[in-house]
Amino acid sequence: MTAPRFPVMPCGDDALRVLCGAGPVRHALARHLRSGDWIDIVPGKTDVTVVFDPHAGSQTLFFAALETELARFQPGARSSGKTHRLPAHFGGDDGPDLARLAADLSLSPTALIDQILNTPLHVDMIGFTPGFAYLTGLDPTLEINRLASPRVRVPAGSIGLITGQVGLYALEGPGGWPLIGRVTTPLFDPSTDDPFRLAPGDRVTIFAEP
Amino acid sequence: MSLIVLAPGVQATLQAAPRERLRHLGIPSAGPADAVSMAIANRLVGNAPHAVAIEITHGPAAFQFETPLHFALCGAVATATLDGEPVEHDQTLIANRGATLSISPFQSGARLYLAVSGTLAAQIDLGSASTYLPAALGGHYGRALKPGDSLEVSDVFTPPIIRTPINLQNPPTHSFILRAVPGPDAPEEMHTLAQTDFTITHRASRMGLELEGALPDMPSHQNRPSASVLPGAMQITPSGRGFLLGPDAQTTGGYPHLLQVIRADRHLIGQIRPGDRLRFLMRDQAKAEAALAAKQGLLDTWLEGFRL
Repeated sequence: MTAPRFPVMPCGDDALRVLCGAGPVRHALARHLRSGDWIDIVPGKTDVTVVFDPHAGSQTLFFAALETELARFQPGARSSGKTHRLPAHFGGDDGPDLARLAADLSLSPTALIDQILNTPLHVDMIGFTPGFAYLTGLDPTLEINRLASPRVRVPAGSIGLITGQVGLYALEGPGGWPLIGRVTTPLFDPSTDDPFRLAPGDRVTIFAEP
Repeated sequence: MSLIVLAPGVQATLQAAPRERLRHLGIPSAGPADAVSMAIANRLVGNAPHAVAIEITHGPAAFQFETPLHFALCGAVATATLDGEPVEHDQTLIANRGATLSISPFQSGARLYLAVSGTLAAQIDLGSASTYLPAALGGHYGRALKPGDSLEVSDVFTPPIIRTPINLQNPPTHSFILRAVPGPDAPEEMHTLAQTDFTITHRASRMGLELEGALPDMPSHQNRPSASVLPGAMQITPSGRGFLLGPDAQTTGGYPHLLQVIRADRHLIGQIRPGDRLRFLMRDQAKAEAALAAKQGLLDTWLEGFRL
């Protein structure tokens, strides 16, 4: 089996981006690259970006090193993740955009919430801020845009929606996704060795806490 | 032995080396917003470039020395006094027991670094002592400094009295020029962007700076697949403003990434404040690499062990 050929492009003057497409290949590729000299290896939704030390060599040099690594890459078997059941509150202060978003989608708030409750979700990526989980599985025909102006403060546990995705904010911080509710169990705990509750590949079910 | 925080200013945090190799977990680098100024402050007191120092934002701020200490200030321009007597930036200074250091609101620049000859106590989380406020990592209990905080200083020593060479001192300015390369979502035509004067809005923090100015129209830009972004990335938000990322910025994002401030100039982002003007100079990769080598060469003449 020959290695897949992925295009590589610059991402600023000290990073390179491998356009490997969506799916578990990103995490397999990131694991493969971890043995190398990269400062950071960051999977996105459809790519993997590697940061190199520009004091150690030119972009041309690292481009060649990356091409060599890519030629050796064989996508491995998908690792099975954990399953999580997360309690949540919807609407009100926990989900300030629920009513407007439901109206925009011509749904009742309850019908929009049911879209989340009745959907098996998968952790596709962790990023943006510590522990922020991008979950796939939301009906992609529901067209949902980011907020025109991001919020300065979003509470920890907030559940955001965007077309085809659910986002879980592990920490309080800024955020640009419309919010419909909040998970009531902590998603990030820096005092433990493994501070993140969710990992890429995990399965998530959200249920309404009474 | 300790240093007492009397007034922290708009925000003061302990910063040290950045947190590396954790961006795939959503952990940003943190570390000093202006790493060069912090390294200089540390050099003036005989510390390693990434020793823990206090990053003061905007001022006014005040500290009391409970013990005699050598200290130094570097970064933003402010009037500083020690027990009422004016003291200079960019040189090693001596505080007697009980002395009070007062720093005025900054005249220009956004961040001033206070370093002391010794080891400032800080908690280490995920491999770094740098404060990252959103996750309460590092620094003084993971939080910003408050009036009354007592910062422990150990391994105190007496350094030689020196000054920062004049060519390494920050010139006072409200107008910045940053060199940049095109980002992954750059429009074909970058010239107009390079001719734009941007103004910094009030949305300015360690996460980044919001920029007002003529930006290219980017249709269908609201839902791009999220991808890695690094400090120095300039994104365009759906409201049509620019957002230039700082050391605490998110690790991935979905807004179009128009340009990337080159590694050599990223430290300057930490000194830009609301109301300041900003222009980008577009460069190619070869020029970006030459600029890094040139500035690193200049810093190497005086700052041992520091990498941009």
